[in-house]
Amino acid sequence: MCAESELVPGASIVREVEGLSVGVFNVGGELYALRNHCPHRGGALCRGPVTGTALPTSDRSYLYGREGEIVRCAWHGWEFEIATGRCLVDPRLRAKTYPVEVDAGSIYVVV
Amino acid sequence: MIDWDVHNSWSAAQELLPYLDPYHRDALVRGELPGGRHSFPHAHRPWLHPEGFMRTDAVPEDGGPPGSDYDLLREQLLDRYDLEYAILTGEEGIEISTLANPSFASALARAANDWMLAEWLARDPRLKGSLVVAPQDPVGAATEIRRLGGHPEFVQVLVSSGAQRPYGDPFYQPIFEAAAEVGLPVAAHLGGQGGVNANPTGCGPPTFFWEAHALLSETGMGHVASLIAHGTFERFPDLRFVLIECGVAWLPALLWRLDADYKALRKETPWLRRLPSEYAAEHIRLTTQPLEQPKEELHLWAALEAIDGERTLLFASDYPHWDFDDPERVRLPPAWRERVFGENARELYGLPVAAATGG
Repeated sequence: MCAESELVPGASIVREVEGLSVGVFNVGGELYALRNHCPHRGGALCRGPVTGTALPTSDRSYLYGREGEIVRCAWHGWEFEIATGRCLVDPRLRAKTYPVEVDAGSIYVVV
Repeated sequence: MIDWDVHNSWSAAQELLPYLDPYHRDALVRGELPGGRHSFPHAHRPWLHPEGFMRTDAVPEDGGPPGSDYDLLREQLLDRYDLEYAILTGEEGIEISTLANPSFASALARAANDWMLAEWLARDPRLKGSLVVAPQDPVGAATEIRRLGGHPEFVQVLVSSGAQRPYGDPFYQPIFEAAAEVGLPVAAHLGGQGGVNANPTGCGPPTFFWEAHALLSETGMGHVASLIAHGTFERFPDLRFVLIECGVAWLPALLWRLDADYKALRKETPWLRRLPSEYAAEHIRLTTQPLEQPKEELHLWAALEAIDGERTLLFASDYPHWDFDDPERVRLPPAWRERVFGENARELYGLPVAAATGG
């Protein structure tokens, strides 16, 4: 996909691999790969912003958290947990995830 | 000296009759006339039914307003259809929501509720009452709910669908808090258009009565969205909200839209735990009248299946109004009849089976 040094914490890249579009994210030093295809309507999931989110609260209060752990799909803004591919509204809805390997300073995604 | 402002007056609006053309004269003779010496204080909506909005066969022998005579109501409704219960919603009571003065509105609510109890509910075990409150006075409304809400003859709290803002707004929280405390559903009945309340249609006022009447369901949509979004049903998990006379076929489409938008922007309301449609299925109930009348009834039934109509709809006739639904002619799936025509209301209001039928 790229050199390990290119993907610093907080960064992400999207690459086409054999006709498949895949995004790799560095979340606090951990690497995760998601298919760049939103399970909602097939949008460019990995081209969306990496953000935090409003944590579950009660009684009309707000608490921002999980900075850098969420990707919002570029099309309709549905939020997904980068580490698992799970949609925050409906955890049964998941983006396809792939194992990531680092070898000799290069990042590989196993598809 | 010139005086620019001197008020002269007719002794009665009828003095204008000879000066009106025949078409508009008719509206003044037979149409709905707000105000007058014996009228109930409320700011009237700007749309007046050109024929008066009553069934003309429901005028009692004494010439009083339809719905004012118990014996006729019993004959034309309770006995005619062998009703087990009739939930009384009053006539003009909910219009107090249009008044600017909240203290006056709540005073009228208390009077209307005491009148309901003394003049109607004590009369026939089939009659159950709605406890009308003034939504523009949330604290006064909560006090009234705690004063009479525990009375077994009152089965719901009642406000108008016309309001200054949607009912999920924190402004109204004391009302829902009190209703949850006494264990009564909160119902919003079509009405309260005018006065201090918001215009009921988003693009400005419609022109004609029938045009407006068909559009007034818009307020119901706003309340449903607001109550869900503000987390009312998270805060009061046993609360039920009933929309009366606001139509039903729009609800599936609204919930589809709410679900879709919530999924994209859940961060605006992180206190929600479920989809809007899931809150609606558990907490929102709708009365059927005036049930939409498509050419092909299956089109309506398919839409109502999407909101589990068998469990979320409550039959209502709207007697003695002009758009009365005859229970023998309402077109709903036959398999739903038992629930929609009785069981759902019995569950919602905790009514015992079969009050003694009179007649």
